[in-house]
Amino acid sequence: MTDTVVVTELSKWFGPKVAISEVSIGFGPGVTGLLGPNGAGKTTLLRVVAGLQRPSQGEVTVLGVNPRTDSAVYQKMSLVPEDEAIYERLTARQFVELVARLTHVDDPKGRAEAVLGTVELLDSADRKLGGFSKGMRQRAKVAAALVTDPEVLLLDEPLNGTDPVQRAQLIELFRDLGVAGRTVIVSSHVLVEVERMADRVVAMVDGRLAAVGSVPTIRAAMTDIPRQVFIECSEPRTLASALIGTDGVVGVHVEDSQLRIEASDAGGLARLLPQIALDSGITISKVEPLDDSLESVFRYLVEGR
Amino acid sequence: MILTRHLYRRLMRKWRVIGLIALASVPGFVYWLAAFDANPDELAGLYSDIIAIAGYSFAIAALILTVATLREERDAGTLPYIYMRPMPRVSLAISSMLAAIAAVMTIALGGWLTTALATVAVGADISIALPGLALFTGAGIGYAAVFVPLGYLVPRSLLVGLGYIIVIETILAFAVPGLAQFSIWRIALSIYHDLASVFGAEAAEALGPVDAGVGGGVAKIAGTLLVGLLVLTWALRKRDAL
Repeated sequence: MTDTVVVTELSKWFGPKVAISEVSIGFGPGVTGLLGPNGAGKTTLLRVVAGLQRPSQGEVTVLGVNPRTDSAVYQKMSLVPEDEAIYERLTARQFVELVARLTHVDDPKGRAEAVLGTVELLDSADRKLGGFSKGMRQRAKVAAALVTDPEVLLLDEPLNGTDPVQRAQLIELFRDLGVAGRTVIVSSHVLVEVERMADRVVAMVDGRLAAVGSVPTIRAAMTDIPRQVFIECSEPRTLASALIGTDGVVGVHVEDSQLRIEASDAGGLARLLPQIALDSGITISKVEPLDDSLESVFRYLVEGR
Repeated sequence: MILTRHLYRRLMRKWRVIGLIALASVPGFVYWLAAFDANPDELAGLYSDIIAIAGYSFAIAALILTVATLREERDAGTLPYIYMRPMPRVSLAISSMLAAIAAVMTIALGGWLTTALATVAVGADISIALPGLALFTGAGIGYAAVFVPLGYLVPRSLLVGLGYIIVIETILAFAVPGLAQFSIWRIALSIYHDLASVFGAEAAEALGPVDAGVGGGVAKIAGTLLVGLLVLTWALRKRDAL
């Protein structure tokens, strides 16, 4: 699938501080999660893609054009900024309509009404944004981003301040947009949520790309870090002694009726376990990978362990 | 026009407008106090002297207002909502400048009305106040042309602008004649000088070496506005918006 957002050898520095260093990546339709600790360069990357900041080096194209020089692209690209900043004196409806009018959207009133309904803000649409909670402000910002029906949607920590119900609704909304063929790039530090909404993950550390792909793909590529597998069985010590010294098993820890295996070859272990259980008459009741989650993968990437 | 209206409304917050009109009204109040017991023959000259000197309060009001046009959007983090729109940067610059000029004209009108009311209150002919409107208008447009780009480009633009008004316009321009030619206030005062029937000694000293003349003054203000627009368009194109 063709990439709608292409970042080529992008670097961005502020005086002596390097925020992004030689990043090259493409983003296509679907939801991409942008992950990284504070200061990793996520917000700067989104701002450069949005055309709000110019690259110090390299280039960015969105839908084939440079957003810094071709403002027509803003007809098809929206950003939900991380800042809580919003026009406090406007009502939610006025705010969304303002964005719609500035973007020359047909029927700005009707469109504003529709997106306010999408983010479930219709009941509060005529209240001033200054009196909104953080979660409601986030939803108003999302409504303003959606009112232009963008092909490329950049979301910088869009779930900040939202309650669990609102979060679930927004995650579903972003997923639906991705399924509908929109390019959705969402930065978040809440890994569980990124895991729920993103098909693809881009991890950034210290301004550089640390990993790109689906979580299982990234985990599989970390061949230097043994997989941790939890096993619950009837005779853990017997199983442990059978596994020690086996190819691909680099560590075995026994705790009561449970085993924690460190395996350099998870596939080999998966093939080996049933055979050992059969030969030794051991009943295995549970096998669970311990570090296949995005959180584990992210920890490895960030902490290098 | 939508953007101009949005920026104008944002600038024209009630208490800010009241405060800035009060600041711009200082020449009117000073004239009222000074002219109360003055000789009727001196009222026109006194008006020009006071508006030329105390009128700097309008310059400060214009600075506070116009510098905020895009600076407030940047500082508040709301700039992406207007920057990320499908409009050429020159349109964004023109809209911003128009909003600032419309806002500063509102303040100018308030300030000038006070001087006009003061002339009526002291029994002077109101016609002596009419050129004052040209002074405030010219200065307002000139300051908008300088301070809107300054506000976008410089984080502490209010301080820098105050430095320009206090250090360059009111101190250095007296000492260095060449600098007076670049003083917005003096350029506007040169228009006033051409229109006023009487121009007092203090006003003449304030004008300094700048030649009086409506045509020259208007051309200089228009030139300043054009340069301001070019600088702002360049800044919007080339500088980071956040």
